[in-house]
Amino acid sequence: MPSRGRDNFRRPGRASLVGLAATLCRRGLPPALLALASGTALAFTVTINQGTRAIYLQIGNGTSSGLFDNGVLPTNNTTINKVSVAVPGNAVGNGTAQAMTTDSTASNSFWDGFAFCNLPTQLYIGGFYRTPGNGNGTISVTASVPVALADTAGDTIPFSQISWTSSGNADGNAAQPFPAGTFPAGGSRTIGQIGQNQWAESCWTFSYLNTVIAPGGSYTGRVTYTLVAP
Amino acid sequence: MRCLLAPQPLARAFCIILVAAAATAAARTTIIDDSGTLPHDAALALHWQQLAPRGSVNNQVVGTLALRVKLNVTPWLRRTGRIYLVLPAQQPGALTASWTTQGRLMPGHLATGERTLVYAGAITSAFIEDTVQLTLSVDGRRLIQGYQINFHFEMDEE
Repeated sequence: MPSRGRDNFRRPGRASLVGLAATLCRRGLPPALLALASGTALAFTVTINQGTRAIYLQIGNGTSSGLFDNGVLPTNNTTINKVSVAVPGNAVGNGTAQAMTTDSTASNSFWDGFAFCNLPTQLYIGGFYRTPGNGNGTISVTASVPVALADTAGDTIPFSQISWTSSGNADGNAAQPFPAGTFPAGGSRTIGQIGQNQWAESCWTFSYLNTVIAPGGSYTGRVTYTLVAP
Repeated sequence: MRCLLAPQPLARAFCIILVAAAATAAARTTIIDDSGTLPHDAALALHWQQLAPRGSVNNQVVGTLALRVKLNVTPWLRRTGRIYLVLPAQQPGALTASWTTQGRLMPGHLATGERTLVYAGAITSAFIEDTVQLTLSVDGRRLIQGYQINFHFEMDEE
């Protein structure tokens, strides 16, 4: 009795299968097996860092050789600018605030060269916080204030007699990053904040509140501003 | 192709499948051995293109390094092909690469997830070598750590 179909289908033996595969390979089949068998393909890698962090703070005069592009770095400026006022003898202590002026010559912003502050009535305060990552963090500028201004005779005027308003040309009524305030009579206070990857700047106009009666003399005191990033 | 392994209807189906596979095999992409490239794992310090932040105008960090690229193209000797530099999709994402060469390979640029042609034509030597100045650029706000950026070269055979 003849078989039905099954016996008519000749399955090649193992040796025949090897020969068939060899034939197929010479003809370029199967392609997936060839690409995987070639083996030694490697990739080159470049390991990158996060990018550096930087902070910059300028109160009054600063030094820049450019606009901080393409690796240009700001330069340290050791100038200590003064804000002062001469109160007429007949106005001492009368409660009428006396406008102060500065010896700073910084009117243009290093952000874009714009004439941001008006001299000599306004003191420039600005800076930036550069850091990798996309957070919403801020860093604070802190003022360390002595208790009082003093003259050579030891007479004092509380630092709380000095206040300021804040603005900037073309800012209109926009909120300032370094808002208006009054110095404390000693201690520290935060006078503004700079956001992550932002430049912040304001122009301060100082006033002596003139509500104390102090002996005639030249009273001085130094405020130190600090910017710290974590 | 003679099909002797099965009754005629089945053999015809089997042959059709094989022929279709042969047609697609003609266009084949293979990763090239570039283990001779130096440095093979380079460190690159990125710096802010614009140190002072000006809002969203420019927060790119960039860096450039020199590579001596050496591609082992022995498997394709005396054939023609098209070689691509590939920057597969990977972290930190949205990274761009641009490069100049000394002429053996073509200069160009690409972004993450892309490839760019760097050579087309006859493969006449076992190795293709060139000095490449590779510049990477990425938004610094995307970087929360260091990253290992993987490149490779691949050959499209013609």
